[in-house]
Amino acid sequence: MTHVTDTSSAYENLRLELRRGCLALAVLGALRAEQYGYSLRKILADRGMAIDENTLYPLLRRLETQGLLVSEWREEDKRNKRFYRLSHDGTLVLRQLLADWQSINTSLSAVL
Amino acid sequence: MDLLDRYLHAVKFWLPKAQRQDIVSELSEDIRSQIEDKESELGRALTEAEVETILIRIGRPVLVASRYLPQRHLIGPALFPIYVFVLKIVTACYLVPWILVGIGLLVYSPGYPAAHGGGWFGPLGTIWGGFWMTALLAIGAVTAVFAALERGASRPHFLENWSPRKLPPVRDPNRIPRATSIVELAANIVFASWWVLFMSTPTVLDRPGIQITLAPVWIYFFWGYLILAAVNVAMAGANLLQPNWTRTKAGLRLVTNLCGSAMFCVLCQSDILLTISLAIDGSPNGQRIADAINMWASRALPFAVGVGLLVLVVDVRRLISSQAD
Repeated sequence: MTHVTDTSSAYENLRLELRRGCLALAVLGALRAEQYGYSLRKILADRGMAIDENTLYPLLRRLETQGLLVSEWREEDKRNKRFYRLSHDGTLVLRQLLADWQSINTSLSAVL
Repeated sequence: MDLLDRYLHAVKFWLPKAQRQDIVSELSEDIRSQIEDKESELGRALTEAEVETILIRIGRPVLVASRYLPQRHLIGPALFPIYVFVLKIVTACYLVPWILVGIGLLVYSPGYPAAHGGGWFGPLGTIWGGFWMTALLAIGAVTAVFAALERGASRPHFLENWSPRKLPPVRDPNRIPRATSIVELAANIVFASWWVLFMSTPTVLDRPGIQITLAPVWIYFFWGYLILAAVNVAMAGANLLQPNWTRTKAGLRLVTNLCGSAMFCVLCQSDILLTISLAIDGSPNGQRIADAINMWASRALPFAVGVGLLVLVVDVRRLISSQAD
């Protein structure tokens, strides 16, 4: 029983680690077009990359602090929303990350 | 929306002032959008219980706020193993001796218990309280130094400028350094010579003005330690020729150390000093000195046992890790 619990906990930790890097890439990719937080969450969820609010908003702030995103508050449907999009640096970094991603994917396919 | 406002207010409380409004506005917009989506799906307004379910899923306010804060640690993962290592050294070299001194005061100093409330509980309380204060100060000082290092500019320099050439060589625990064997050989030969020349009879000192006589039982200790010294000389010679701990050699060292420690413990309890005669004082004083030395030898027994046990632990570990012959 303990062994099963340990295995599932190890799986959960590894899954989270695997997802963490992928999420940043998915968010950068999705923000090639401008989105506000909730619409971004919906787009990602529709494409199988569900992300909860406690993960997304801190991640958006980190990416913005790193200069990869720019944001602005705007009114839409009578509500103030914060819209995000890729900055110039963000576009360059996304291009590099996508190349790395392809390379990792190719390597993994060869290994697995 | 009273429930949502209360929730957002609670999240706001835990956030840094500069970002509070910004974060809460964004979170508020997200939660309101979730509620609206659910309402359009159900075709009615959500009940308070349904809003509560959404908020419970999002999480406790303090945890939600914590996700926006920078990761904080007093001592980071790079320095932490060194920090733990230093704490172990502080415990072994500072706190353990401190406890031993406390126990020594309690056992050997008659005035100490009386000065701290008498009996056992008063002095024990003083030692215990003092120990915790000392431990707190020592651990606090080490932690403060490491926290300063963590934040200081010296950390990257200290951790990044290194060379594999400066790492210590790998030491074979079964290897006996030749220098150790030579020192052991010389020390045992010197000891055995001195022992035979000066300690072979109970009258160990007989000079004008001072005579020291040991109890007749001394003769057993004399032969016992002489045999041990002879065995040690033979072992040091063997170690010099074949500088590795084998199971036989490690076992023999365990037996000799066990015998030596046991004999020393018996010696402490044997009232070994029979008389000391001092010409200047006359015999009554000499007898008092002999009695005092015997009493202190007897009182040293717990320390002799403690040191003996430590030596035996080292010997047993060596025996376990030694190679088969």
